[in-house]
Amino acid sequence: MLALGAIGYAFYLDHLVVTQFEGRRWTLPAQVYAAPLELYAGLDLTPAALERELERLRYRRAERADRPGTYRVSGGALEVALRPARFADETRPAQTLQIATGAQGIEGLHDPSGKEVAVLRLEPLLIGSIFPIHGEDRIVVSPEEVPPLLPQALKAVEDRKFDTHHGVDPIAMLRAAWVNVRAGQIEQGGSTLTQQLVRSYFLSSRQTFSRKIREAIMAMALDAHFTKADLMNAYINEIFLGQDGDRAIHGFGLASQFYFGKPLAELDLSEVALLVAIVRGPSYYDPRRHPERARARRDLVLKELAQQGIVKADEAGAAAKKPLAVSARPAGAYYPAYLDFVRRTLRRDYHEQDLTEAGLRVYTSLEPRAQDEAERALEGELARLDKVHKKAPSPLEGAVVVTTPQSGDVIAIVGGRDVGYDGFDRALDAHRPMGSLVKPFIYLTALESGRYNAATVVQDEPIDLKLANGTHWRPENFTRQTYGAVPVVRALAESLNLATVGVGLDLGLPKVAATLTRFGLTQAPVEVPAMLLGAVDVTPLEAAQLFNGLANGGFKNPLRAVRAVISADGKAIKAFPLTVTPIATPEDVYQLDRMLIQVMDHGTGRSAHALLPADLVVAGKSGTSSDYRDSWFAGFSGSHLVVVWVGYDDDSPTGFTGSAGALPVWAHIMAHLAPRSFEQAMPESLAEVHIEYPTGLRAAPGCAQDIVAVAVPAASPPPAKPGCALPDAPAQSAEQPNLLERAKQALQSLVH
Amino acid sequence: MRVAPAAVLLTTVLALSACALTRSPPTFPAPPGTPGAPAPAPAPAPAAPGTAVPPPQPPPPERAPPKQFRLGAASSALVSQAHAQGASGDYGQAAATLERALRIEPDNPLLWSELGRVQLSENNPAQADAMGRKALALGTGDASAQASAWHLIADALKAQGKNAEAADAERRASAASPH
Repeated sequence: MLALGAIGYAFYLDHLVVTQFEGRRWTLPAQVYAAPLELYAGLDLTPAALERELERLRYRRAERADRPGTYRVSGGALEVALRPARFADETRPAQTLQIATGAQGIEGLHDPSGKEVAVLRLEPLLIGSIFPIHGEDRIVVSPEEVPPLLPQALKAVEDRKFDTHHGVDPIAMLRAAWVNVRAGQIEQGGSTLTQQLVRSYFLSSRQTFSRKIREAIMAMALDAHFTKADLMNAYINEIFLGQDGDRAIHGFGLASQFYFGKPLAELDLSEVALLVAIVRGPSYYDPRRHPERARARRDLVLKELAQQGIVKADEAGAAAKKPLAVSARPAGAYYPAYLDFVRRTLRRDYHEQDLTEAGLRVYTSLEPRAQDEAERALEGELARLDKVHKKAPSPLEGAVVVTTPQSGDVIAIVGGRDVGYDGFDRALDAHRPMGSLVKPFIYLTALESGRYNAATVVQDEPIDLKLANGTHWRPENFTRQTYGAVPVVRALAESLNLATVGVGLDLGLPKVAATLTRFGLTQAPVEVPAMLLGAVDVTPLEAAQLFNGLANGGFKNPLRAVRAVISADGKAIKAFPLTVTPIATPEDVYQLDRMLIQVMDHGTGRSAHALLPADLVVAGKSGTSSDYRDSWFAGFSGSHLVVVWVGYDDDSPTGFTGSAGALPVWAHIMAHLAPRSFEQAMPESLAEVHIEYPTGLRAAPGCAQDIVAVAVPAASPPPAKPGCALPDAPAQSAEQPNLLERAKQALQSLVH
Repeated sequence: MRVAPAAVLLTTVLALSACALTRSPPTFPAPPGTPGAPAPAPAPAPAAPGTAVPPPQPPPPERAPPKQFRLGAASSALVSQAHAQGASGDYGQAAATLERALRIEPDNPLLWSELGRVQLSENNPAQADAMGRKALALGTGDASAQASAWHLIADALKAQGKNAEAADAERRASAASPH
């Protein structure tokens, strides 16, 4: 009876193993990739920067670039053996590329036959994966992607009779049992690779006697039904090799990325040996936390391989001399705030299960260089600001969003100063009053009304509004002073509250609210007068969406992190193509943008210029909410938009204005992005005029102290300063004061 | 007469001094090496070094010297690839390829017009129209770029049944066209 039961049980397990293992499909978390770097002649990338990009992708400098993943430098040329690469729109085999470099950047690209290559992408950096709640993450590899040494080493160290036994190795088991009995505790496994596979695939990891029996029967069943090669491949993809917070690292494919940042096929002997060493105890032999233990076991593995004749003794000896060479930070989960945005984008279209199991490839807009600069600037500046404000209850926090305005790509997101922390993502979830970041949208509304331009004189004077609830609203300027009659350009550049509230009330709150909504504010603002001083809550990402429309000449593109999603079999299943929608006329936005340049030259943004290249034209606006709780800066060059928020999580006052807190972070980031000047073409109906900054009167450069250039409708030139005007209609040349100064000097030198 | 003699004089001197202009959007030459940069604006009549300042000249009829956008080598290759993809009906791929070019040269109106054409083929005339307007704004000062933007807008309007507006856009295209 007992025997019958045992046979029945064995049949049941056999059936279970065959059906489950036959239809096996590892849950494959979606792999997320950064934007690939485009290489082409004329790209402003120094040889050193190019090498850094290759090293980021774990290319190795070598004497000869003969194996994928290696490169060689000689003189002004760099030869790189590119790995096979999969992009959203094409798959490219491994190939060799010659890159001629010079002081100006990349001078030319050629293939090995000397034929010119116009443009070519490096493969995209893997930046993480979307793994399920239980945390099993893996990259599945095919047998061709596995270095032959790995299965040999696994057999040598874990299961010498793998090729000949029937799923279990009774002698090894008996030996282990004897050792365990003598020791009074479990010290040896004696499990074959097949048993380890069964344990990982079908069973919990508790070691009990009945489970041991079950495991042995199932291992024999597996061995009877599947080839050794099949089982080895399954083992390589299944086994647990490390833990990274909530994320469990499964399979050698992911482990190779996790520990070394490169594909499994490129691992050398010492690296393969380390992974084989880790199999025995991923936590105990964690090479990052316990490097000495890991190294000792790796060297033991190397010795074993030499003794069994799998590698030569001198090779093993040389490999044992190598350091562990584990990457400082695990690959993937590098950029939690960015991945958070990616996940949210995808969850609109996909079920959780598709993302965590279906092996999707997700191509994003993240630019690792920009992301690194943004992280570094925020960490560095917040540490500096903390020292300024010593009595703070907690450290200052911050968030950064960087976009390329014309494409609407979000290229970097920093969610807090602890950039590796996958927690509260301030860039997406901190809803904070936008403060004076609202002012550009008030003045854009003013331009659109046709009743205002940059030179229009407005009154900065006390305001006393009786509100519906009977209380009085008496806003003030930050300086607590009033400035009287000022041109619009100055009111915006110096962020004068009273003048702006006056303009906003004249336009009407609904008009201003509509402008904000049109530019991308997700929730319609509450239409109270305080809205005109920025009592409108936005996230840093939302602020970036709003300013992106200004940086992109009045066109809105929904900010995007995801470009395309590709299925496991290589089909494009979802694209997020570039779209643009006109939301304001190029004329109105151009006039506003020219005023935002004056913010940087004359107003609250001027301290940034000390950190930026001297001739770089940028436009921006500071923002400070009431009691200095939030410090904002949003601004753009011709190539990048950067939004920075600085504040405390508990909303306590920071003591910093936007110019003192967020602006230095902003300037540090902008300076390191290799920005181009903001220099859009002036629409034909506009003219550039020079006006006196304090009065708004038109004046020839040199005639008054403080002259600025603004763009106004050609048909409505501002009145001239008495005795100071050019005898002409609005000047049509586009020179600005500094340029005219230079011209004057040149003129004088010619005359003398 | 809309340009003061003094302004002409200054412009001439500036052209002669050949220093890097940094802040004059309409007449501004792109830095050397920028792929697909507009061709440098023709300089006003040069004078031999060391001679006196040339006398004021009558202002040019144009308010800004004409410019002409071209594609850089990288963009040019990508546009050819996009054309091939479009010809085989693969508009999604063509659009993705043109987006690569636009990331290299985001300010080039020719690329926005190209992408707008793909949108039109994909039966997305509203996007085609918007991209045409983007090209138009970027192409200020380049008659040929503006003409092709207006043609695109006209076709996009036609595709939406807006025939009167399309005819108007067509007229603007002809007016802008250098020939």
